[in-house]
Amino acid sequence: MVMNNIALGRYMPLDSVIHHLDPRAKIMVLLFLMIAVFIPAGAVGYVVIAAFIVVALFLSKLQISYALRAMKPMIWMMIFLLVINTLVIKTGTPWIQWGWFSVYSDAIYQTLYIVVRLMFMIILTTILTATTKPLDLTLGIEKLLKPFEKIGLPAHIIAMMISIALRFIPTLIEETQRIMNAQASRGVDFENGGLKEKIFSILSLIVPLFVSSFDRAEQLANAMEARGYDPNRQRTRYKVLKMKTKDIFGMAMSVVILGVCLGIWIL
Amino acid sequence: MSIEINHLEHTYNAGTPFSHQALKGIDLSIPEGKVTAIIGQTGSGKSTLVQHLNGLLIPSAGTLDICGFHIQPLLKIKDIKQLRKEVGLVFQFPEYQLFEETIEKDIAFGPKNFGIEEEKANELVRKILPMVGLDESYLQRSPFELSGGQKRRVAIAGILVLDPQVLVLDEPTAGLDPQGAKEMMTLFMDLNKKQGKTILLVSHDMEHVMRYCDHVIVLDHGKVLQENDVRTFFEHPEWMIEVGINPPAIIRLKMMLQEKGFKIPDSILDMPSLVECIKGQVNGHE
Ligand SMILES: Nc1ncnc2c1ncn2[C@@H]1O[C@H](COP(=O)(O)OP(=O)(O)OP(=O)(O)O)[C@@H](O)[C@H]1O
Ligand SMILES: [Mg+2]
Repeated sequence: MVMNNIALGRYMPLDSVIHHLDPRAKIMVLLFLMIAVFIPAGAVGYVVIAAFIVVALFLSKLQISYALRAMKPMIWMMIFLLVINTLVIKTGTPWIQWGWFSVYSDAIYQTLYIVVRLMFMIILTTILTATTKPLDLTLGIEKLLKPFEKIGLPAHIIAMMISIALRFIPTLIEETQRIMNAQASRGVDFENGGLKEKIFSILSLIVPLFVSSFDRAEQLANAMEARGYDPNRQRTRYKVLKMKTKDIFGMAMSVVILGVCLGIWIL
Repeated sequence: MSIEINHLEHTYNAGTPFSHQALKGIDLSIPEGKVTAIIGQTGSGKSTLVQHLNGLLIPSAGTLDICGFHIQPLLKIKDIKQLRKEVGLVFQFPEYQLFEETIEKDIAFGPKNFGIEEEKANELVRKILPMVGLDESYLQRSPFELSGGQKRRVAIAGILVLDPQVLVLDEPTAGLDPQGAKEMMTLFMDLNKKQGKTILLVSHDMEHVMRYCDHVIVLDHGKVLQENDVRTFFEHPEWMIEVGINPPAIIRLKMMLQEKGFKIPDSILDMPSLVECIKGQVNGHE
């Protein structure tokens, strides 16, 4: 019913250049661009980043509507921001003046800045997760964290935790759907009803979900232990990552963008 | 009133790369007051089909008429709660829907959702509990400290307590021990015979289908392959083999005997008449 609309974070099995990039490269690009997004580099900076995003989106063969859908949950937050900002920020030139109610230019600019930044971050993350299989993503994270093992960071354990969490997201969604259906068959109305009914209907969903999640966690732990899983053991990988020219090129591009933004800011 | 299904189709995740057509034009008329089995290989669309019956899924195309409700694509069902009360749906592994502190509260949860007073609901619970083979001592226990089979009973009681006119059961006996499964099936048959409830049973267990059901519907890859009364269906074991269903033991025995040269008429479906038939032939041989 509701769950099918979750777009954020779902892998889209398409065949594109972006899909075939090394996950480490994609994560690094995301990291660099995220930093760039937060540098106050004015309109020029945003245009450069936007151009990069448009090209990446085009190359990834993802539908524009898919990326836009990922932003749907953000709309309320954006409206909320706009309201708060208009009420609080009273600098710049006044654009609207109705009695006590006034809107200043800075309020609009501030909101716009934040909204654009959020949009960039969401689209960038969506491109990453939509073009990278969860397992590759974890592998990438693990490899990138490898150097930090020297200072005691358990890269493998972190990666294992992430991949288990990712593995169970679809299961959890499926389970949620199933329990919602079962409770709906017992007359629960998840869409309408007052606050009290809402709380009760959510309870009838959350409790079984927790129960089955704990069951599942225990089963998984037992199964892993029964097969002799030892988190501290050295292990090899079936899949070996290799950086190619296109990966280097992608990262170089993002470094250049980061540089441009830094340049504008500092100079 | 029978259940009428016309050209019903269902596509999951329509319009995305994950789009999958699970039902491809189902035409069925399910008789009232009978026990109808829906069988088919895993993934053939059984669960998808039954979820249409109480409006959990809306068809992508085609129509469905059930208990005076007319369901068609894109149309919001008016008074969907009433439909859910008329058509009780028990899911595969229903024990996962339990959530209350006590069994009494959990079973009373459904009736209360349909606007029945707490006291009246508790009264109904007391009436339903013995029917699923649990006594009053269970009322105040937590549903989470029960065995899997007992949880299943509580969950089924949670639907039966709504007194639905049509009872849809998605593999209600999967994972139960043979004795427990038999008790469950006996309960459902009682509801059918004594209260005249229409029962739809999704099952992989051909012994149950043969013993308890009146009617068989075979689904295969989202289509209706067969619709027959039970006798006719089991008189043709080749139909089962065709769709990869393991026939009941007696049919397999019959086929083995036929292979060895015994002449056994198709109409023989129970052990005593099979024994009689073989006896006749063995004696005749001597
Ligand atoms: N929520 C869903 N989203 C997408 N596809 C689904 C969903 N539920 C079922 N399907 C697909 O629809 C098809 C039919 O599934 P369904 O659950 O109806 O099969 P079934 O006959 O009940 O199988 P089983 O005997 O294993 O219970 C399957 O191919 C399945 O993968
Ligand atoms: Mg099923």
